[in-house]
Amino acid sequence: MKKIVVFLLVLAMVSASVFAAGKTEVAPSGPVTLKVANYALLEGGYEPFWKQVKVDFEAANPDITIEWVTAPYGEIVNQVVNMAGGGNKVDVIFGEIDWVPGLVDAGLAAPVRDILPAAFVDDFYPDVLKSFEVGGKPYGIPLYVSPYVLYYNKNLFTQAGLDANKPPKTYDEMLSYAQKLSLLKDAKGNKVYAFGQTTASVPVSGASLTAMVFNFGGQVLDAQGKLAVDNQGFKDAFTMVQKLDQLGYNPQNAKLKDLRNLFALGQLAMYYDQSWGFNGVKSINPDAINFTASAEPLKGGSGAGASLLQAHCFILVDNGDARKAALSKFVEFVISEQTLSTYLRDLTPAYPAKKSMATMESVVNNGILKGASAAAGRVQVQSFIPRISDLNLELCSLAQAVTVGKMDVAASIEKFKNTASVKISK
Amino acid sequence: MKSRTLQRSRADLLFSFILDIPALLMTVLFIIVPIIDSVIKSFQDYGVRNIISKKPGVWNDFANYVYLAKTDGFLMASIHTFSFVLGVVLLQFLLALLLALILNTEIKGARLLRSVMMTPWVVPTVISALIWMWLFQPQYGFIKYLVNLVTFGNVHDFAMLNNPRTALAGVGIAALWKQIPLMSLLLLAGLQSVPQEINEAAMIDGANKFRRFVSVTLPYLSPVIKVSISMAIIENFKQFPLFWTMTGGGPNNATTTLAVLSYREAFVSMNLGSGAAVTTLWMLMMVLVVFFYNRVFRVQDLG
Repeated sequence: MKKIVVFLLVLAMVSASVFAAGKTEVAPSGPVTLKVANYALLEGGYEPFWKQVKVDFEAANPDITIEWVTAPYGEIVNQVVNMAGGGNKVDVIFGEIDWVPGLVDAGLAAPVRDILPAAFVDDFYPDVLKSFEVGGKPYGIPLYVSPYVLYYNKNLFTQAGLDANKPPKTYDEMLSYAQKLSLLKDAKGNKVYAFGQTTASVPVSGASLTAMVFNFGGQVLDAQGKLAVDNQGFKDAFTMVQKLDQLGYNPQNAKLKDLRNLFALGQLAMYYDQSWGFNGVKSINPDAINFTASAEPLKGGSGAGASLLQAHCFILVDNGDARKAALSKFVEFVISEQTLSTYLRDLTPAYPAKKSMATMESVVNNGILKGASAAAGRVQVQSFIPRISDLNLELCSLAQAVTVGKMDVAASIEKFKNTASVKISK
Repeated sequence: MKSRTLQRSRADLLFSFILDIPALLMTVLFIIVPIIDSVIKSFQDYGVRNIISKKPGVWNDFANYVYLAKTDGFLMASIHTFSFVLGVVLLQFLLALLLALILNTEIKGARLLRSVMMTPWVVPTVISALIWMWLFQPQYGFIKYLVNLVTFGNVHDFAMLNNPRTALAGVGIAALWKQIPLMSLLLLAGLQSVPQEINEAAMIDGANKFRRFVSVTLPYLSPVIKVSISMAIIENFKQFPLFWTMTGGGPNNATTTLAVLSYREAFVSMNLGSGAAVTTLWMLMMVLVVFFYNRVFRVQDLG
C-alpha cells in the first residue's frame, strides 16, 4: 500500500523550503492560442475563478491566448475526443484523476515530463505523482488532492445530543451515532438521513465505493490491474452499504450532487465526498460554512480507514513545441500558491500536491478540512486500467443490487465478478 | 402518337429522377453510408485511439459480438427495450384514442383543450425528463407527497425511479406524457375525415354506437392508426434522452435499454466497436419489428 507519508509530515510543518520552479527553455515563437477544455466554467461558483485565471495569465503572457472549450462535466471528454477526431486537439484538459487512463488509452494524453520542466514536476509529492502513472510515466499533473472526506453537520450532531467535536472514527461508532441522528426531522418536518454514501450509476460514485472498500482494508484491483475482490474488506464494505440502506440511513441511489443538496438543506447528517464537494454544498446554502466540519474516513472491519486518492488535474496534450512551451507556462501559472491560494481557501478545500505549497495559509488554517487532515497520510492508490469507468459503473450496479435490488451480498458479488472481469478485460 | 407519349413519359421520369437526386444524395451520404460504416466497425477493434490516430479498425473475429454474449447485459437490455416499447405504445394508443374520441365530440372548450394538450409535445425531451425526475424525486418530489397524501401516510417513501421494479414504468409515464398529444392529434385528424353520411346510414340500419365505431370508424381510421403506431414504435425503440437523464440506466441496470447500452459502450467505455455491435443488432431488431408490424396490420382495402 502506497502512502503519502511525506505529505502528512509536511502539512504539520511550520515552515517549508522555498522552491523556485524552473523556467521553460523553449520560448514560443509568435502568438500562441492554448485550447483549454474545462467543464468547471459551467459549474456554479467556479466560473469567476477560471475567467480571472485567463485574464491574469494573458496579462502576464501577452503572446499567449487562452481559448476555453466547455461542455458539462459528463460530456467534456466526448467533446475533447470528437474535436481530436476532427484534427482539432485541445492542449490541456482540466479533469479528474479517473479520466487519465482512458485518455492515455485513447492516445491523447502526453507524459507530463515531456512538456513540463523537471524542476516543476519534481516539486510534487512522489507518491501523488505515482498515482498518475501509466507504464511508469505520470500522465496527469494534479492541482490539488484529497481523500474522500467525511463531512458532518455540527448542528444536527448537537440536536441529536452528540458531541459536535467528536465525529465517529469507526463504522460501528457511526452506526450508533446514526441511530440518534435518524430520529431527527428538519424545520419543515422532512426526514434527516444519517449517513450518505453515493451509489448512483455514475463513474465517480464507483470511485467513492472503492474508497469505502479501502476503509475496510479491502481492495478492488491488484497491482497488475486485475480484478481482486475475493477479500473480506470488499465484502464488508458492501455489507455495510446494504445495512445502511436497510436501516434507512442512506438516501437510495443518490449522486454526489444529491447528497450535497441534502447536506446543504440540513437533511443529511454525515456523508462521504471529495473535499471540493463542499463548494457544491456552499453554493446551495452559503450558511453551510457555519455548520460543516470534516472528519477522517471511517475505519471498518480490519481496515485502518484508508481512502482513495482523488485529484483535480491537468491532462496534457502534445501539440508541438510552441504550444507545449505555452502550455508549460499555463500549468505552472495555475498550479502555484499565488493562483490557488484563494481558490483553496474560498472555493475548493483541498490539499496541495506540491511540497512548496504545503504550508499555504489557506490549507493550514482551513477550518473545513481541519478534521480530515490526518487522513491525507492514509491514502491508497488504485491501479490504473483503461476501462476504469466500466469498473466504477459495475461497482455502482453492485451497490444498487444489494440496496434497492434487495439481493444477497455474496450472490451479488459473484455476479459483479463475472460481469466486471469481462468488461475490464475487453 | 404512341411514341410521343412514350417519349414524354420517359422525359417525365427523367425529370422526376433529377428532382430526386438531392434527396437521394442526402440519404446516401447521411444515412446509408454511416449505417454501413457502423456495421463494418462492429466487426473491428475500433476505439477512440483509432479516431485520433486516423488508423482503420482491425477485424477481430466477431469479438465484439462474443463480448456482448459473455454477460447478460445485452439480453437484459433487449428485454427492457421490448417491454418499454410494448407497454408505452399500447397505453399510448389506447389513451390517445380515448382523448381523440372525446375531442371529436362537441364538448365545450375542445379547441382550447387541443392547444393546451400539445404543450408536452413541444417541450424538449431532456426538459421533460428533468421535469419528471423532479416530480419523482425521492426526498421532496411532488409524486412522493401525493402518494403519501392519498394513502393517508401509509406509503411515505415512494421512490419510483429508485426501485428496480418500477423505474421502467416511471420512465414510461414520462414518455406517455410527452407522446400522447401527437398521437391524439393524428387520430383526431383521422376521426374528422370519417364521412358522416356513412355513419348516418349505419345508424338508420340500426347499428349501435359500438358497432358503428368498429365497422365504420375504425376502417377509416386504420391508415392513421398504422402510421401513428409505427411512429410510436420507432420513437420508443430508440428512446435515449429520457432514460439517460432520468435514470442513467439504473437502478441495478433495470432501465438499461439498448440505447443506453450502446451509448455506454461507445462513449463511456470509449469502445466504439462494441457500441457499433449493439447498434447493429438493435437496428436489425427494429427493422424486424416494423416489418412484422406492417405484415400483421395490413391496411384494409376500403374499396
